[in-house]
Amino acid sequence: MSTSLLEVEKINSFYGDSHILFDVSLSVGRNEVVALLGRNGAGKTTTLRSIMGVLAPRSGTILLDGTPIQGRPPFEIARRGLQLVPEERAIFGQLTVEENLRLAALTAPKAWSLDRIYEFFPRLKERRRSGGRQLSGGEQQMLAIARALIRDAQVILLDEPFEGLAPLIVRDLVRVSRDLAAQGRTILVVEQNVVAALSFADRVYILNNGHMVWQGTPAGLRADPSLMKAHLGI
Amino acid sequence: MRARFWPEAAMVAVLLLAPLVLPRLGFSYDLLQRILDWGLIGLGFDLLFGATGLLSFGQAAFFGTGGFVAAYLLLHHVLSSVWLALALGTLAAGLFGLAVGWLAVRRIGIYFAMITLAFGQMAYFLENSPLAAYTGGENGLPGVPVPMLGSYKIAAGMPMYWALAVIFLAGFVLARRILHSPFGAVLRAIKGNTARTGMTGHSVPAYKLAVFVIAALYAGLAGGLLGVFQSYMPPEAFSLDTSGQLVVQTVIGGVGTLVGPLLGATIWLWLRDNLQQVPHIGALWKLILGLIFVALVVMLKRGIAGEIRWAFSRRRLASAEAGVPEEAGEAAVMPPEAAALPMQAPLVVARADAPALRAIGLSKFYGGLHAVEGVSFDVRTGSIHAVIGPNGAGKSTLFKMLTDEVSPTSGDVLLFGQRVTGLGPTHTAQLGIGKSNQLNQLFLDLTVTENLRIAALARARGTFRADLWRAADSIAPVERQVAAAMDTVGLTHRADVPVHVLPYGEKRRLEIGIALAIGPNVLLLDEPLAGMSPAERVATRALVREIGRTRTLVVVEHDMDAIFELAERITVLYEGRLLADGTPEEIQRNQAVQDAYLGGLHEHEPA
Amino acid sequence: MPSAPLLLSQAFNGLALGTLLALVASGLTIILGTLGVLNFAHGALFMLGAYAMYVVTAQTGSYFLGILVGAVFMLVVGVVLERGLVRLFYGRPHEDQILVTFGAGIVIVEAVRAIFGANTQSVPTPSWGQGIVQLGFLFYPTYRLELIGIVAALLFALYLILYRTSIGLVVRAGIEDARMVGILGINVRRAFLLVFAIGVVAAGVSGMLYAPIVSVEPDMGSSFLVEAFVVIVIGGLGSYPGAVLGGLIAGEIISITSAFNAAYSEVMLYAVMALLLVLRPQGLFGSEGRV
Repeated sequence: MSTSLLEVEKINSFYGDSHILFDVSLSVGRNEVVALLGRNGAGKTTTLRSIMGVLAPRSGTILLDGTPIQGRPPFEIARRGLQLVPEERAIFGQLTVEENLRLAALTAPKAWSLDRIYEFFPRLKERRRSGGRQLSGGEQQMLAIARALIRDAQVILLDEPFEGLAPLIVRDLVRVSRDLAAQGRTILVVEQNVVAALSFADRVYILNNGHMVWQGTPAGLRADPSLMKAHLGI
Repeated sequence: MRARFWPEAAMVAVLLLAPLVLPRLGFSYDLLQRILDWGLIGLGFDLLFGATGLLSFGQAAFFGTGGFVAAYLLLHHVLSSVWLALALGTLAAGLFGLAVGWLAVRRIGIYFAMITLAFGQMAYFLENSPLAAYTGGENGLPGVPVPMLGSYKIAAGMPMYWALAVIFLAGFVLARRILHSPFGAVLRAIKGNTARTGMTGHSVPAYKLAVFVIAALYAGLAGGLLGVFQSYMPPEAFSLDTSGQLVVQTVIGGVGTLVGPLLGATIWLWLRDNLQQVPHIGALWKLILGLIFVALVVMLKRGIAGEIRWAFSRRRLASAEAGVPEEAGEAAVMPPEAAALPMQAPLVVARADAPALRAIGLSKFYGGLHAVEGVSFDVRTGSIHAVIGPNGAGKSTLFKMLTDEVSPTSGDVLLFGQRVTGLGPTHTAQLGIGKSNQLNQLFLDLTVTENLRIAALARARGTFRADLWRAADSIAPVERQVAAAMDTVGLTHRADVPVHVLPYGEKRRLEIGIALAIGPNVLLLDEPLAGMSPAERVATRALVREIGRTRTLVVVEHDMDAIFELAERITVLYEGRLLADGTPEEIQRNQAVQDAYLGGLHEHEPA
Repeated sequence: MPSAPLLLSQAFNGLALGTLLALVASGLTIILGTLGVLNFAHGALFMLGAYAMYVVTAQTGSYFLGILVGAVFMLVVGVVLERGLVRLFYGRPHEDQILVTFGAGIVIVEAVRAIFGANTQSVPTPSWGQGIVQLGFLFYPTYRLELIGIVAALLFALYLILYRTSIGLVVRAGIEDARMVGILGINVRRAFLLVFAIGVVAAGVSGMLYAPIVSVEPDMGSSFLVEAFVVIVIGGLGSYPGAVLGGLIAGEIISITSAFNAAYSEVMLYAVMALLLVLRPQGLFGSEGRV
């Protein structure tokens, strides 16, 4: 697996003394889009938070381009080119759209220009003077992804990007995600909207109760409804 | 919490021996009196800060109030009895404490410290200027008379020491009774976990205000005595330094030990009296004490009395921990059957045909975000009802509206036909809705028994009661309730173990046990299986089923196998709305639910 | 009813006091807002600034050198205090943070007392601040008048730092969500150090500016600490605009009240605070978020 950009090996993570991830391993190759699926409570968000360093795993290794990053603080991991777009989006509501973007770009070695971001998200250009609090859910999600892009992040961790958004906006964001994938960006996406996630993922992992239970291709998953029912549906 | 009287006996011995031994070490009678006075104000402060966790920087306000009111009454011959003047001064301080406390206790941490500090400073300025005609302003009030005992005049020196010693002892005995009373148990619970204390049905603001007033009364009495034994009431009693000195003395002596402030005062005042005159280090003693104070706080040390007590309790704790095997036999602690609880919430059934719990058009909007919108469902009495839905469906918000932790934007919750919306979690708990939380909300420093007792006390005593004198473990129905709840969740073998040493699975069961011990008619369980190992899941599923035999349960859970095994009826939320409501079979057959879980819904919806 | 000229001059006094309170409180509030720490040593640091001014002006006679050297000294103090003490407390309960900064304040005050003695010291008014100015409606000491301008300029500079620089961007974002700032590649710990140091310098510089018009003594900071608390309770915890407006309001309350009855000037300030706590507990500009 020397070609993989992100390599997670047997990590165990806890919240306090509650054991959430059990020997979870996964790998994401360069320019690959990987979807991490599972019911809620399965440990998907915890996996992303562990990779980003927000929640340091108690054991196991995480390699980014061959370098171990587990146990490092989030800001160092971000500077190595990995970027989490968190589920709650965490837009700074008191800052304007443009300030949110400038803040994100501060420590990026090869930050995009604002113009390039606005080209990608014309809607954000219209709203650039608006406070983060005034944005709609879809605009917030765009801004959250834009903050990762302006840092020119090599690996983007997307946590439930479509949650709580109207279908039309989900369609827009799926298109954006496909564009990113087509540009050769590496993405690990956690999503409950399985149909949307499968529409742009190259490979799929399924987590269940903190254990990695399956990996394969979208086609493989679609072909096996019992798998979906066992680990994703009800 | 067996009645142990050795601390009182030891205190009597210390007070008897002090005037024999300490004068040789540079303690004058005047110094001993001042130490006892600071120790007295410290008893109240330690109940406030040590027991309840409320850090006040304004105790000087009450110290000064008690002192000046008593001194004024005596000097202006309103009263001739010193004892009566002391009583009125104490009362005045208590009333002032009631007013300041009313503003301060709604706030926590930073706000509380700032507000108490500010009101302390306000009292100082009031004394100094507008009230100078009564208080003597910067000059204070000289010539305060000494008290009489019958026809015996309690003169300065030895007689005054004994008077103060007796008063201090009475204050100490009372403070210990308060600490070990049901009232005191609630105070300690507030310090351990304020939110959970409220959720079990105790009115947290009422208890905070009560202990604030108690601390003010102690301070007021000490202030009055200050004027009496010095025959002078100094304006410095009101100063910021007074409040600060009390904080430093308490931390150095040991927070939460009751004797800590006395020990701290002994060190502080002895150093001041004996080093002040030494030429080169005269001013340095306070610097050194300051450094010691900072070091104690940084290193998490407990102060003198605290460290001594810790050394003793560690031995007991070590033996308790020795009895806790790693991940203690998970499957082995299967509860046989739920023991019947002796105390149950009184069942108020407003309408005979009313369901146990009814949600009517519940909505919660956060700005533009519609977390929950128009959700209605009924929970049949005696059933196990599950609420499920993908992430972000609004389950937690809905659950919090059921206990009124979150007040709905619109809609109502009815408990047996009675409206509970707008009452707040404390009152919904009193009305019989119990809740165990997704993340454990335990009192980590208390034992398993004490944790459950907090909940049972709420059922037995209502939202507030000032039962300061009886022992916390002396209420028979409460103890039976604790035993029954402990038995049900299978923790009887852990009764006296501090909760922080329990393995996770047992903590999780205790979380349910606390909700159970309030004697609810409807029990809400928020992800009872979260974070559990497979073996623990099996045991906890059995526990939930067992509890469900005797009361109505509403469960939010991600573990679908568990839900379909346990629930008689399932409500499915999706994007804040009710998607389906039916039996497990109906839900399993429901295409919309399948789509919601697999995210296919978007594809079917017209744009 | 006091005469119009008296009211006017008191209003002017209020402005002078208010701007100064705003500067002291702004240091306190940005530390509180960003780090979540209520710095009880703030009053002691104010006093330390005044003593730094005293030492440098006594040696060199230069007001500007005093401010410059004093500010650098306060910067060092801030860095040492954050690195050595406050940093250990970010994860601990508010009560512990309050206790440790309170203790640090005692140590600073007592160290100054041990070095300089308990006697009051005086700092000379700079040559360009001597005398009094005729303002038409009143005569006003030149230095106090200039002080209003200097403090206003400093408050504006602080505004520029907070709202027009990258550092300010990080600080404002950190007040909202320090964790996310870290996820975006910014070393939040270093930002915290910077914020703490800025706050300490603000307290110290306030003390330096104030030194020529008061007697400098070890306990001079404590009343300012409490007034700064009142200011940020009025303005809203953690809000910079709140600290500025709150400072001006507090200054005016104290000054205008003393035109009617000097005995009540301080008391009135606390009464207003109590009223605000009942009617608008989050303060004028506060949100309930952080604290």
